[in-house]
Amino acid sequence: MDDLLVVKDLTKNFGGLAAVSEVSFEVRRGEILGLIGPNGAGKTTLFNLISGLLASDRGTIKLEGEELAKKPPYKRSAMGVGRTFQVVRPFDMTVLENVMVPIFAHYKTSKEAKEKAFEILEMVRLDKLADKMPSNLTLAQRKRIEVARALATKPKLLLLDEVLAGLNPSEVAENLPLIRQVRDSGVTILFIEHLMDAMMAISERVLVMDQGALIACGTPDEVTSDQCVITAYLGEEAPEC
Amino acid sequence: MRTNKLIIATAILMLGLLVVPVFFTSTFILHMFTLVFFYIALTAAWNIPAFGGKFSLGHAAFFGLGGYTAAILYVKCGISPYIGMFAGTFVAMLGGVILSFPLVRLKGPFFTLASIAFAEVLRMVAVDWRSLTNGSVGINIPFKPGWLNLTFTSGMPFYYIAMGLAIAVILLSWWIRSSSLGYHLRAAAADEDAAKALGINTAKSHFLGLMWSSGLTGLIGVLYVFYNYVLEPGSGFSMDRFSLQPAMNGIIGGMGTIWGPVIGAIIMTPLGEFLRFYLGTIQQGLNFVVYGLMLIAVVNFVPGGIVSLMEPWFKKKKSGDSSAADN
Ligand SMILES: Nc1ncnc2c1ncn2[C@@H]1O[C@H](COP(=O)(O)OP(=O)(O)O)[C@@H](O)[C@H]1O
Ligand SMILES: [Mg+2]
Repeated sequence: MDDLLVVKDLTKNFGGLAAVSEVSFEVRRGEILGLIGPNGAGKTTLFNLISGLLASDRGTIKLEGEELAKKPPYKRSAMGVGRTFQVVRPFDMTVLENVMVPIFAHYKTSKEAKEKAFEILEMVRLDKLADKMPSNLTLAQRKRIEVARALATKPKLLLLDEVLAGLNPSEVAENLPLIRQVRDSGVTILFIEHLMDAMMAISERVLVMDQGALIACGTPDEVTSDQCVITAYLGEEAPEC
Repeated sequence: MRTNKLIIATAILMLGLLVVPVFFTSTFILHMFTLVFFYIALTAAWNIPAFGGKFSLGHAAFFGLGGYTAAILYVKCGISPYIGMFAGTFVAMLGGVILSFPLVRLKGPFFTLASIAFAEVLRMVAVDWRSLTNGSVGINIPFKPGWLNLTFTSGMPFYYIAMGLAIAVILLSWWIRSSSLGYHLRAAAADEDAAKALGINTAKSHFLGLMWSSGLTGLIGVLYVFYNYVLEPGSGFSMDRFSLQPAMNGIIGGMGTIWGPVIGAIIMTPLGEFLRFYLGTIQQGLNFVVYGLMLIAVVNFVPGGIVSLMEPWFKKKKSGDSSAADN
């Protein structure tokens, strides 16, 4: 299999807290890889390390064989790492302009940037809201701005941090196919999600983190039957699969 | 239809401003208008880093660097003020390079503090480096009227120079705000991490913003010195006039917008002069008390500045089909 991203022994401590410790895994080109784990497991921190917003203490992060660990975030973005944020904070400008922001790096004129941004908005079905301010949109729509903005960077690997959290079931049903659609357009996806059903439905493989460590990796079925995972994560709650 | 009306209104305003000196020959009124133009330019230049959320209280540094450079070149070396404009702009930008270190490293109030310190240090250098700056005595621009010397017998030429300067800086700041640099700065202001993750070199954007801002402020400093004839450390690097005043104008008018600095400068310049003149003579620093109260009022009640109150009036009404806001 062709590995797009290879992470080895990645470690990050906050003072005495090992937020991410000795994490190693690979993301295969073209897959949807899920990342689950209880709150505080270190999932968002792992994304921060891969996207470069945090510097790692140890370990390597290789995208198509090239080391990312020492590169600033904007270079990693240019190399193909895109991400969304768990807490959506759209820029204080119209929906269209939000998507235009990263596009300027690829298209020099405003007009070209606008056209390209519009295409992406069509893909995430926000084209009709292009001239609205994000504050007038629903949470589900704002999460789609996040995805659109990240797609505008033309990522090879897209890191999605809880893009379904906080949405009602019908909104989840509306946003979920989008993830598959993005993958089908040629983007590899690593995504964090709390909703087990949704996660199991669309990921080919799942990583499980607990207290900074990677404790399991496999198909959704393998992972949910793993005893470690059941005790660490699914715990008292009834497993949903 | 709407744009037509706007163009006509702008044309009338421009024509009106062009003929002001013809009808108002009073030097006081002409001076006040000229000062307003200078402050519009200064505030609009100060505002460029503010697109990126960076709040400077040290722009007197660039103003003074520009002014001193041109004045020293002219008075001590006999170099034309027109060359002085380029030199002053350049030296102010060098100052910008120095201030860019704290700009990209320090967050929020810490950058603001660094900017204050920067301007104050330069003011002290101007006091102490007597051989170059004449110390606190200052430099006088000799009165040799003529376009070549940028010195005039009437206030009229500088009225037009300052007006052109104000218009040029507004247009430039509008162009910057709608260019990729402007979008990148606004993105960084809203969420620096998100901007970085979206591929923006935010440090570079902040740096470029400060380069524009410092260079323009230096140029304004050059022109102001030739308008004012005298330059001494307390006026050239004046915290009150050239660091606080543009920032006040910006906040009260609406920081980070195009028209906020214009509105702020129009309202605050006459008020500032009045307060400095009347209250300043009763008790030194009393004008700051009034500023402080105004600032508290605006920040609390109209955080977007006066321009945000006028927004519904500026903007065309949008159709009300927006989806319900959540949260
Ligand atoms: N910038 C930070 N400074 C200190 N501690 C942090 C920081 N970011 C996250 N943490 C801590 O690291 C742990 C992992 O957090 P996080 O990665 O956000 O977990 P998850 O996304 O899996 O819920 C938590 O205990 C959190 O409090
Ligand atoms: Mg998280």
